[in-house]
Amino acid sequence: MRIRPWATATVAAAFTAGLVALFVLTAAGGAGASGVSYPRSQTLYMSGNQWSPNNDLNPAKTWDYVTGLVGFAYETPFRYDPLKDSFRPWLASGGKWINKSTYVMTVRKGVKWSDGKPMTVKDFAYSFNILKIKTHAQNPFWRDTGLKSMKVKGNTLVFKFGAKPGYQQFDFYRFNVAIVPQHVFKHYSKTDITTGNLKLPIVGTGPYLYKSGYGAQSQTLSWQKNPHWWAAKQLGLKVGPKYIVDIKNGTNAAALENFQAGNIDLFNNFAPKKAITGKAKTYYSKAPYHLAANTTWLFPNTTHKPLNDKQFRLALADSINVGQIISKSYQGLVNKANPTGLLPIWKKWINKQVVAKYGFSHNVAKAKAILKKAGYKTGSDGYVRNKDGSKIDLTLAVPNGWSDWMTAIQVIAQSAKQVGIKITPSFPEYATLVDDRGHGNFDMVLGNDRQYSNTPWTYYQYIYQLPILSNQTNVNYERFKDMKAWNLTKGLDKIASTNTKAYRAQMTKLETTFLKNLPVIPLWYNGMWAMFNTSHWTNWPSSKPGHHFTTASWRNYWQMTSIDMLTHLKPVK
Amino acid sequence: MIRYLGRKLLIYLVTFFVAVTVDWAIPRFMPGNPIDQLLARMHAQPQSQQALTSYYTKAFGFDVPVWKQYLNFWVALFHGDLGVSIANFPTPVWELIRGAVPYTLALLVPAILLSFWAGNKVGALAARRKALDNTVLPASYVLTATPQMWLGIVLAWVFATTLAVLPVTGAYDLSLQPAWTLEFAESFLKHWVLPFSALFLVAFGGWAIGMRNMIIYELEADYSNYLAALGAPTKLVRKYAYRNALLPQITGLALALGAVVAGAIVVEIVFSYPGLGTLTLTALQNRDYFLIQGIFLFLIMGVLIANLVIDIAYVFIDPRTRVGMAGSN
Repeated sequence: MRIRPWATATVAAAFTAGLVALFVLTAAGGAGASGVSYPRSQTLYMSGNQWSPNNDLNPAKTWDYVTGLVGFAYETPFRYDPLKDSFRPWLASGGKWINKSTYVMTVRKGVKWSDGKPMTVKDFAYSFNILKIKTHAQNPFWRDTGLKSMKVKGNTLVFKFGAKPGYQQFDFYRFNVAIVPQHVFKHYSKTDITTGNLKLPIVGTGPYLYKSGYGAQSQTLSWQKNPHWWAAKQLGLKVGPKYIVDIKNGTNAAALENFQAGNIDLFNNFAPKKAITGKAKTYYSKAPYHLAANTTWLFPNTTHKPLNDKQFRLALADSINVGQIISKSYQGLVNKANPTGLLPIWKKWINKQVVAKYGFSHNVAKAKAILKKAGYKTGSDGYVRNKDGSKIDLTLAVPNGWSDWMTAIQVIAQSAKQVGIKITPSFPEYATLVDDRGHGNFDMVLGNDRQYSNTPWTYYQYIYQLPILSNQTNVNYERFKDMKAWNLTKGLDKIASTNTKAYRAQMTKLETTFLKNLPVIPLWYNGMWAMFNTSHWTNWPSSKPGHHFTTASWRNYWQMTSIDMLTHLKPVK
Repeated sequence: MIRYLGRKLLIYLVTFFVAVTVDWAIPRFMPGNPIDQLLARMHAQPQSQQALTSYYTKAFGFDVPVWKQYLNFWVALFHGDLGVSIANFPTPVWELIRGAVPYTLALLVPAILLSFWAGNKVGALAARRKALDNTVLPASYVLTATPQMWLGIVLAWVFATTLAVLPVTGAYDLSLQPAWTLEFAESFLKHWVLPFSALFLVAFGGWAIGMRNMIIYELEADYSNYLAALGAPTKLVRKYAYRNALLPQITGLALALGAVVAGAIVVEIVFSYPGLGTLTLTALQNRDYFLIQGIFLFLIMGVLIANLVIDIAYVFIDPRTRVGMAGSN
């Protein structure tokens, strides 16, 4: 048998051609969508939320569902405006505490599901009842708020609590529980409802209808305006873009190139300051450019020596030059955190006198003095020793590849050296870090898990929750045992936000104990990273009056005020 | 012939068994517990942790001893069940792989075959034309020494960012969904060019150098001199030399497959190309045992099958193999 060179070429070429054809076939079959191309002037392209495949349609999976599932399709009883600290009735037309332990929620009339059926109080009751399933992520609604019963009365839901309702947590669920159609969801099993991915069609009430892109291999998911959205008629609201295309993230760098090429209008990934140029705009026109979304904390393992000593932690806090981190790692894109760690949206609860008295800031002399007074002696190498004379060498870990944090901890190590504390930066893989953090196998880590919410309770719970489990997956990574502080946190939950005086007093107590003991060290506010391309859409959120809306396409932000961003967007003529 | 194939098949089966076992074991011995990862990502409240942990432990079959997990894995494998993705629970692994495979194949197969064909042709040409030898040879050395990922970044920078003639990320335009349209096909091809080129060029360099050196060697071999002395035309001599030089190249192809697959993985990541490479990265980041296992299983099978095909093809291409087999019979 003779093989001719040209034969190889032919085979190769034919194979290639065949393969391309095969691919087109498979891809088309896989996505099951018809060919669509959206007019640029009517389409909003966004990116920054979706990392996992576009195939999770379960509103209960608040960490995984496709971008916009809650907000565009499913809606919540209320929305919460963190910038104004106010609730806005949404699928509920209102709600109030009729006495200290009874809350009545009124269901909005005239709302229809996208399949034409009316939304009723039964759907509301159903949506709250499914949270009783133990594996439902929002199960604490029934378990931790002190809720005893929920009854339908006419067009209202009556929530009866025990003597001391968890007002703060209940408020949180008021804008975080998605109202789902009972007539569709009743066909799903309990397992599907809590952990399944659920199926098409999506029957919601919101401003957009699912258009295309569902599927494990899909790059984008698109939504089309719902012409029958209840809020158009009842509240006079109109969303700007007719189509929304959400782009699944690959890498930060690739996404940024796409934004700079003009293919993305709303960019919710971190980008360096130099990217904010030309048509790219941000919430603030100058530093820090972005709203603050969360606080970056340093978690010292309080079961490790010498981090179990509050004096050592206080000295450590004083040693950190956050200003240098801001200029070096972030080029001014973030602001220094308040010593309490509370976000700017909670500014009104920060007791300035307490901060002035117990707060900390970069002060080498003060840090050295604290260490000396506490009995830490300096060794011949210039580093302080444990009280028993042993050497101190603390590791500080951040996930490998998180470049801004990687630079930041090098600054922390350098500035700690100035006061004689030896810190070695470490960059394990994220999965390893999560594992070590959960099981307490670390000296220090950075973390910023908690986002915007209606209440600083979520922050204090993050810091103080007890008891400590063998694996701390989400709270109290520092393993700090302070029953008094945890009781204060639980107490805060049980004060209604309207009881300003008691609330303020409780906050003062929490801030005082926090600053005196510093179980974790707040460093800076991470931004709600958002760049707007103004080539196709204008009237974006900004610090100008009337434009104060959240800027993130991230999950759980649409039901804050990111939806208002869409109702204000205007096409560029 | 049958004995030859039987022996080969047996070797492949043993390799498959060992490779799959290693594939099963590696993610399990990596640090990090996937369920903890999942709970951390869920922001599960501590009070729910117990219920969720036991639910997921059971759902993933981690509630049985390791040896049983291993047996269950083989049983499931023979039922075509690769398990459920952990990070994308409860999406079946097969669904994720099936979605990504066409993209990877669309890059890999043309890159391997075309680079092999073009590299050998150009290498052979270079061996007899001095001008070509002086240009192609150094260029090939540079290309073959370039990591595909780096070349990908350079190509993206030149053609997508600076010249803006080709798109930089993804497999098709963002305003499109895969469909039977010319518009989609065109967009797909445009997005395919750069990642394909990154893979093609690096492999091309390697084949060109190999063939150039082999041809020079073959042209100096006794049979070539003998042929020439008999008065055979140069063209014929070169044809024979080419055919002989091709044999080690084909062996090289079998050996290079693994490296090309690895190259495709990083190139896909550079271009956010939605194939197995990108999927591997997310699977590793999430300690997604079953997905990692599934992807590697797929790659192992791919490389083994391709090797087997080359082994069989060799019998037809190289008459000596056939003669050898006949002799042994």
